[in-house]
Amino acid sequence: DATQGTSADCQPCPCPAGATCAVVPKTREVVCTNCPAGTTGKRCELCDDGFFGDPLGQNGPVRACRACKCSDNIDPNAVGNCNRETGECLKCIYNTNGFFCDRCQEGFYGNALASNPADKCKPCSCSGQGTVGHQTTCSQVTGQCQCLPNVAERDCSACQPGFFNLQSGAGCERCNCNPIGSTN
Amino acid sequence: PRPDVDALPPGTHLLFAQSGRIEHVPLEGYDMNKDGAKAVLYLPAKVVIGVAYDCVEKMVYWTEITSPSISRASIQGGEPTAVISSNLGSPEGVAIDHLGRLMFWTDSLKDHIAVASLDGSQRRVIVDSGLINPRAIIADPPNGNLYWADWNRDAPKIETSHMDGSNRRVLVKDDLGLPNALTYDSQSSLLCWADAGTHKLECMHPGRGDRSQILEGIQYPFGITSLGKNMYYTDWKRNAVVVVDRYAGRESNTFQPQKQTKLYGITTAYAQCPAGQNYCAGN
Repeated sequence: DATQGTSADCQPCPCPAGATCAVVPKTREVVCTNCPAGTTGKRCELCDDGFFGDPLGQNGPVRACRACKCSDNIDPNAVGNCNRETGECLKCIYNTNGFFCDRCQEGFYGNALASNPADKCKPCSCSGQGTVGHQTTCSQVTGQCQCLPNVAERDCSACQPGFFNLQSGAGCERCNCNPIGSTN
Repeated sequence: PRPDVDALPPGTHLLFAQSGRIEHVPLEGYDMNKDGAKAVLYLPAKVVIGVAYDCVEKMVYWTEITSPSISRASIQGGEPTAVISSNLGSPEGVAIDHLGRLMFWTDSLKDHIAVASLDGSQRRVIVDSGLINPRAIIADPPNGNLYWADWNRDAPKIETSHMDGSNRRVLVKDDLGLPNALTYDSQSSLLCWADAGTHKLECMHPGRGDRSQILEGIQYPFGITSLGKNMYYTDWKRNAVVVVDRYAGRESNTFQPQKQTKLYGITTAYAQCPAGQNYCAGN
């Protein structure tokens, strides 16, 4: 406030070098108005949308603002892709999730880090008839669904050789064919 | 510089969001008075995405994604007040029905469109299926229509419905890329969109369905608003507001704020409400 007539009327902006500041009339609060590139916040302590870090080191060592690190599993046209401080990814795509979009979502399996989106996370598609408790989840890596007794295949969609009646929903039953009259 | 956050002078302005602030540029006729540009509101901890204007109470409304909320403040000098702050995922576009005193918004995490009274009460989801990346939303209260765009890369589309979500229809689905920005010009009854994928600015008459290209080769639009002969879009490439003369079919001016960071939603703050009667007033 330059109108008070004291030597303390004008004070330096509490902002990083080069930034200007302003006083919010209602609250008398000082805010930096021209934070260095990539930073924002009252004191330039935050990263812009799409970046993360701790530019003033308010919660530990100084971490310059860097672009969200989400394993190429975010869309640059989206907003709010990661937490501005921790970098936690918030808008994973291609059926991925996890802090860095580095895992497959529940109900999907594969390699979230594959370079081609089609090779990333595929749906488990577990067979309703052959899977324990009609589960829709599978092993994140192999995609193996949890099969009922004597049920085979990754998606539990077929009986093991020598077994039948997947439709029962309780696993497959032994064929019990007479070895003398059967061809194999 | 001295305090920056004051009441706006009378007249028509552009309001746009730039991460931690809402800025304004006064319009003289259809031209930007760049020297008169300054921040309306500092919201330093926030990432503001959508902005909309209520010409009746002269309030600016905005969505914010860091602590997801929808807030408002008088542009005649008022405190920011949150009107919705619970149960939001990633609120993006916001639209005001100044006649019905309602607000509509898109949520890109919940993948729905919702409505509430301007004070946040009477909240309801009106569209909750078939949405992947809903962003821009526009209300046309005199005709009782709502328009929105979904930039889903696999199947981008522009849709319409009545203002209660009924009579939903796809208006455009071919030759779209990333239709981020949508605006409706009531004078010409044209719905126009700026596409960051096809880099085109196009319009269509929603009733007749005829589509026309205004301009191609635009850069990276995020938001758009229209007034008379001009359209104004925010550009992620140049971090600027770009003016397009729709009849000349060319970019006629740009405004680049001092701070170099992304610009998001943009809206026109009219000096007076446009003429028009509420479609629902007849009910």
